[in-house]
Amino acid sequence: MSGSTIFSRSLAAALLAAALCAAPEFALAQKRGGTLVQITQPEPPTLASYLSTSGPIGQVTAKIYDGLLEYGFDMKPQPCLAESWSVAPDGKTVSFKLRRGVKFHDGKPFTSADVQFTIMEVLKKVHPRGIGTFKEVTAVETPDAQTAIFRLANAAPYMMAALSGYESPMIPKHIYGTGDIRSHESANKPVGTGPFKFVEWRRGELVRLDRNPDYWRSGQPYLDRIVVRFIADSATRSALLEKGEAHVAGFGAVPYNDVKRLAALPGLEVTTKGYEMISPVVEITINTKRPPFDNVKVRQAVSYAVNRQFAIDSIWFGYGRLATGAISSNFKASGLYSADVRNYSVPNAVEMANKLLDEAGFPRKADGTRFEIVHDITPYGEEWQRFGEAVQQQLAQVGIKATLRYEDVATWLKRTYTDYDFFLTSNFLYNLADPVLGVHRSFHSALIKQGTVFVNGSRWSSPQTDELMNKAALEPDTAKRGAYYAELQKLTAEAAPIIWVHELLFPTILNKRYKDVIVSPLGIYGAYNRAWLDR
Amino acid sequence: MQQPFWRRFVRNRPAAFGLAFLAFVVVLALGAPLLFPGDPFRIVDMTFLPPFGAYLFGTDSLGRDIAAGIAHGGRTSLMVGLVASIVAVSIGTLLGAVAGFYRGWIDDALMRFTEFFQTIPTFLFAIVLVAIMSPSRGSIIVAIAVISWPPIARLVRGEFMAMREREFVQAAICLGMTDLAIIFRQILPNVLSPIIVAGSLMVATAILIEAALAFLGLGDSNAMSWGFMIGAGRSFLRDAWWLCAIPGIAILLTVLSINLVGEGVNDALNPRLRTL
Amino acid sequence: MAIGPGTILYVVRRLLQAVPIVVGIVVLNFLLLQLAPGDAATVLAGEAGGAPPEYVAQLRERFGLDRPMHVQLLLYVKNVLTLDLGYSFRNSMPVSELIFGRLGPTLLLMGTTLIVSVLSGVLLGLVAATAVNTWRDRVISVAAVIAYATPLFWIGLMLILLFSIKLDWLPTTGMEDVVAFNEGWDRVLDIARHLVLPTLTLSLFYMALYTRMMRAAMLDQRGMDYVVTARSKGLAERLITYRHVLRNAVLPVVTMAGVQVGSLLGGSVIVESVFAWPGLGQLAFQSLFARDFNLLLGIFFLSACLVVLVNLIVDLVYLVLDPRIKLG
Repeated sequence: MSGSTIFSRSLAAALLAAALCAAPEFALAQKRGGTLVQITQPEPPTLASYLSTSGPIGQVTAKIYDGLLEYGFDMKPQPCLAESWSVAPDGKTVSFKLRRGVKFHDGKPFTSADVQFTIMEVLKKVHPRGIGTFKEVTAVETPDAQTAIFRLANAAPYMMAALSGYESPMIPKHIYGTGDIRSHESANKPVGTGPFKFVEWRRGELVRLDRNPDYWRSGQPYLDRIVVRFIADSATRSALLEKGEAHVAGFGAVPYNDVKRLAALPGLEVTTKGYEMISPVVEITINTKRPPFDNVKVRQAVSYAVNRQFAIDSIWFGYGRLATGAISSNFKASGLYSADVRNYSVPNAVEMANKLLDEAGFPRKADGTRFEIVHDITPYGEEWQRFGEAVQQQLAQVGIKATLRYEDVATWLKRTYTDYDFFLTSNFLYNLADPVLGVHRSFHSALIKQGTVFVNGSRWSSPQTDELMNKAALEPDTAKRGAYYAELQKLTAEAAPIIWVHELLFPTILNKRYKDVIVSPLGIYGAYNRAWLDR
Repeated sequence: MQQPFWRRFVRNRPAAFGLAFLAFVVVLALGAPLLFPGDPFRIVDMTFLPPFGAYLFGTDSLGRDIAAGIAHGGRTSLMVGLVASIVAVSIGTLLGAVAGFYRGWIDDALMRFTEFFQTIPTFLFAIVLVAIMSPSRGSIIVAIAVISWPPIARLVRGEFMAMREREFVQAAICLGMTDLAIIFRQILPNVLSPIIVAGSLMVATAILIEAALAFLGLGDSNAMSWGFMIGAGRSFLRDAWWLCAIPGIAILLTVLSINLVGEGVNDALNPRLRTL
Repeated sequence: MAIGPGTILYVVRRLLQAVPIVVGIVVLNFLLLQLAPGDAATVLAGEAGGAPPEYVAQLRERFGLDRPMHVQLLLYVKNVLTLDLGYSFRNSMPVSELIFGRLGPTLLLMGTTLIVSVLSGVLLGLVAATAVNTWRDRVISVAAVIAYATPLFWIGLMLILLFSIKLDWLPTTGMEDVVAFNEGWDRVLDIARHLVLPTLTLSLFYMALYTRMMRAAMLDQRGMDYVVTARSKGLAERLITYRHVLRNAVLPVVTMAGVQVGSLLGGSVIVESVFAWPGLGQLAFQSLFARDFNLLLGIFFLSACLVVLVNLIVDLVYLVLDPRIKLG
């Protein structure tokens, strides 16, 4: 990070203040025109972001669909399609005042009926995370075209963090209201209210989005076009950015070792901002029902044995922050993070691991090993393979002989979440915008669901931690929530059903001629309405 | 006046060189546990140490000794290439010979069977097989053998069909020789050279397919191989060239040697060429 | 040999025979893919970062994965017989539409490669064989052996590094300039420029193959009795080479070219992946890992039809090139 001086910071503040006062058309020196080429990896399977939360989809559709709210880097909601909103003191009624004069790309107006349809008929029913997010919503009332009132069975404070165009896109009832929403003919021809209109999808190649001239933020967007390209080979992706044929790429699209080289090039810059509402965590899930990992001492021992700093330095090339426990330190700002847990990254970690394994009743045999296991590798790219190889070596140091197994996505998912046929597997989960959405699923007993992926695969739970999570979900008071979560982090670290390795800091590579691309904690999942090309 | 096969072979200098290098690789591969004892996956030092320093070929992205990897990896690569090719050439030659010799419904049936294996684009088929069986040394060998035999079968069949009409074969049939004898003693020796050339190319291809599978992330994570080393090093092509270049050169030279030996055998088996 | 009524009858018979074969292939492919663990619903749920079981069950029902396997198979075969390749739920598109979208780029790359590699391979093999053991032969043979021994992806990456990044002569990847969206002749020219590196990469491999086969076969043929006879009759060496030897030597090349044409529809996974070429190889690769079997089976089916057709054509070419071969 470049050190910014007090002067430049206050200058920035002054500029920001000036910008806020001026009408959008005259703000700053944004120039109109230009095409932004974004690399998204892999190619999204569909463009139905109301139906699938597959990562690459949102990178495309967040430019097409708006949400009711946006979020600042402070995680606080900001107006988007909703001009204003209010939450009743009991948290069971949330009213949104919708913006006037907003039109979908086909020219039809956006009204409260679309909100009602999207929430009740679509997201609550078919969106993988929406089913949980809007679980408490019993009805969306529409007293007039500009008002949508959410009625909730119980308070659900986390819902307010999940109303972005990425997470909960507002889709037109007049198009998606007829026919089967799950296999709709317009699924891959998205029509939204966002700054860019869908033009075409050439499979295997690109998606083309053109400027929406009738966007409700007059004057915006500044770019004429966005082209999202799909390039299967990682070295090729780097070459494209290097040559200036592509301008933005994130989410590990560029190999971590290449990032440093690209960052040193004069035309490119690298930022790790824009993932604050995603909070990805690299971890190793332990099968707590399979011996010897049903023994907490063995789990703690392997937690000590895994060298987190080595993983950050040698495998993710510095793009990581030591993880301490179940909740990402990105939640420090909202007071939900606590570092007061058992610390596994200690200098004498190997010694601790050996001691615990001896205590657990697994002494070293004549050949120096204690027992043999298979270490599964999550099939999401070559870093994971190298990480597996490193873990294998680190386990060997404490006498655990691990064989590696690398399978494809479908096989691995079935093994881990349906057959539970594994000892240790590396894994990759997002904390998302709130622990209720991203953290509970890994520990709650209700989420030990065979066949459901990315939930409680370690199958560890306790009545005490279940209770803490139940209370935290409904608690509107941040301080009290923080206390519940501090306790949760302490207990889970002690039980060690998961080895939290590090908080992955995805690097986003940007061409410097493009400005204001990453402007929110959703980063590449943003709308790019403010992005512009400085010629 | 024919010299013995061996004399003719070693007179061919490229072939002699190929054989010498191949022998060196085999010795290196077999002697790997003595030369580089221990697990080749072991992390020995800092990452990305350049070659010709403390370690002959430097270290890789995790700090493993590349020279140890080359020696141990040679075993896997050679074995995968050899075993897969032997299996494929045997199956292909047998089926091709039978089909080309008997023709009629036998030919039809065998060719339809061959066609099934050829209808799926080869490399894709290998990927499918490895994905279904989970990547391991065994599944990679099976996959390569399964995709490799049909071209040999078709080649042998074509040669046999042409040979079948030759005078000496017709004569052998008239003399009442058994089919087996005609196939193996009369025709096979005459079509051996294209089989040997194709077979030697196949060992090469097999080693390259193993590398390509590894490139796509379908290598065996527990067996050090040259393909694995290239796959693991390809992301570092720009900043640590030796990670890919050294196993790449190992593959190139080995494959080259195999081909030279194959051609040497071909030339030695066909002394007529020498007299031209 | 002339193409007479016998030949036409033969062709018709072979084509009729092909129908049950293709159906058999479809069934075998279907069964083969059933062996793969996991299904499309798991993958979609996995990509979504987790989904409730009701959602996965919904998906299975929609994809028809909840039905017994033999029902799925019968349904699939029935559809294929009516030339309906089904629907790719993952891509929310009919399979045929997806495949035809990729057909153009695939045929363009593979067709260009085929022409370049066969022509140059035969030519180089010929040159090497007619000048056996001279420096020309050595240079060609060594180059062919090295080209054949070099991993494709490595060459591809090196070419990008040299011609795109360092020299800036050619575009790195893709089939056309995505910022400009050219029209007309500009577009043709643009695509041609994008075609150079992938074609070169892929051709090197096949060219080496054909050169080596051609050379070996030529040398082989020259020792044959009929050549000795021809020579003893006093025919000019040049005439022998081009009239007799070439004709026979080209047979193995025809066989291999047939194999290459048969693999046209599969594209090249490696080269398409390195050059981001929107071909069928990548589509098939992705569909395998997504367990999008309707799509993968569709590609396999078309590929099977092509191979059956090409094999027939190769047999006919043999017939024309070598009159001694009789129709079976």
